[in-house]
Formats: sequence, C-alpha cells, structure tokens
Amino acid sequence: MAKVFTGREGKLLVGDNTVAKVVNFSVQANLETLETTTLTDNLRTYIPGVVGYTGSATLLYYKNDNDVFNTTELLSKIYKTGSSGVSESDTVRMKFRIDDGDIKRQITMDAYVTSASFGAATGEIVRAEIAFQGTGELNQVTIS
Amino acid sequence: MAFPFLVPTSRTFEPGNFPVKTYRSESGQETRILYGSTRTDLRMSLTYANIPDADAELFLDHYDEVQGTFKRFNIRSRTKQGFEGDRNKLENRDEGVRYRYEGPPQLTQVREGISTVTVNLIGVL
Repeated sequence: MAKVFTGREGKLLVGDNTVAKVVNFSVQANLETLETTTLTDNLRTYIPGVVGYTGSATLLYYKNDNDVFNTTELLSKIYKTGSSGVSESDTVRMKFRIDDGDIKRQITMDAYVTSASFGAATGEIVRAEIAFQGTGELNQVTIS
Repeated sequence: MAFPFLVPTSRTFEPGNFPVKTYRSESGQETRILYGSTRTDLRMSLTYANIPDADAELFLDHYDEVQGTFKRFNIRSRTKQGFEGDRNKLENRDEGVRYRYEGPPQLTQVREGISTVTVNLIGVL
C-alpha cells in the first residue's frame, strides 16, 4: 500500500530503549570524494574516498514517573566528571527508526556523542540538542 | 626505467636563468658578468593527486634508479601534457639541460591504495 511517513512513525533508540520525547532526529551519510582530474581533462573525475556517518537529535528534557530521565544515556557520554574524558567505551548504539506497520525501517550505528547543548530559557521547554559521530560500519540498514 | 609516464594533476614551472654574477659597487653601480650561454636551474614541481599506489611506486623505483638526486634524466611527453604552447619550452634539452630530482618524492597516503605524490625537479647541465 502506498504510504508517506510522518514524524509520528519516527523513533530514536539507544541500545534497545526508545528515547522518550524526541522532537527530531536526522542521520547524514557523507562520502569523501578524491579528485583524479589531470591537466589534459576537460571534466572533473573522482574516485570514492571514505564514508562517514553523523547524526543529530533534539530531545525534550523529561523524566518519567520512575524519575528516569530520557537524556541520561546520551548526556552522560559527554558530560562527565573526573579527568579521564571520553574513552572508546563511550560509544552508544543508536537506532534511527521509522515504523512501517510491523516492519522496522532503521539505521543502526555505534556512535560517539560529539556535542550536546543543554539549557533553559524563559517561557520555553528545556531541550537537549545532541550530535553524534558514527564510528565504523553501520550495523543495520533497512530503510530501503 | 624512465620517468613515470603519467599526466600530472598540477605542474608549476620556473624557467631558471643564465649563469650571471652580479656585482654592485658602493656607488650603486651594478656590473653583471655572463658566465655561460645556457639557461639552467629550471624548476618543475609536479603533483599527482589520488593515484593508485602502484603508480606512486613508480616514482620510488625511478628515484632509486637514478640514485636519488645524483643522475639526470629526461621527463616524458605526458609530464608536459596540458601545456598547449611549445612543450620544448618546458625543458632546455637541446642545450644539454636535463632534469634531476631536487629532493625525494613526497608520498601522502590518502586512503588505502591511493596516494598523492609530489615531485620537485631541477634542470641542470
């Protein structure tokens, strides 16, 4: 059946847990191209370089009835006490999903949280804006 | 083995100069003495961007063959391709000038199997 999808079908998961109150998310794939044009060419030519994946999401700052915050798993990867900083174990498995009935259209990647913006403003809901940098191969791609 | 038969991505060329020695007196008068009739010290910088490692290796092999900066050699027709004027002007071969390496080729590994090579040549008698 023909169908277009809306934000209502979108979900962001960390591990197997759905992140609550996600306002938006996006994933970008970037292919670096290497130019191979030489002095005698009239048209530019390229070969593929390396592929990388990045993503971003905006979350409402929210705690559920059990006092569990939806942002904990993400913000804790970059807002850290201590002097050890971020380590290789601080990747999170992100799933960017669009529900298609019972079918889960999703991209799964291991990613570092590379930036997180968190703050409050008068008359506005508190939000956290988070950016990811994928590392390594995609674990799953079922969006097409 | 001859210089690699590849078309460069970019090329810069300086035509060099005749062997001139310049003297300047305290009054500011300049005297120039011409010591030869052949233009030398031509400089050519070649960049081969994003080429397969097998092609990059050709430069290393050639550098070995001419014993680094020691021996002179002729550049190839493909080295001069893209220049629509008289390509002989990029050399001074008829006067006995040949190129040699000014320094070792520089290889930058761009990704697996792909490198960028920069070669600097100097034309000498």
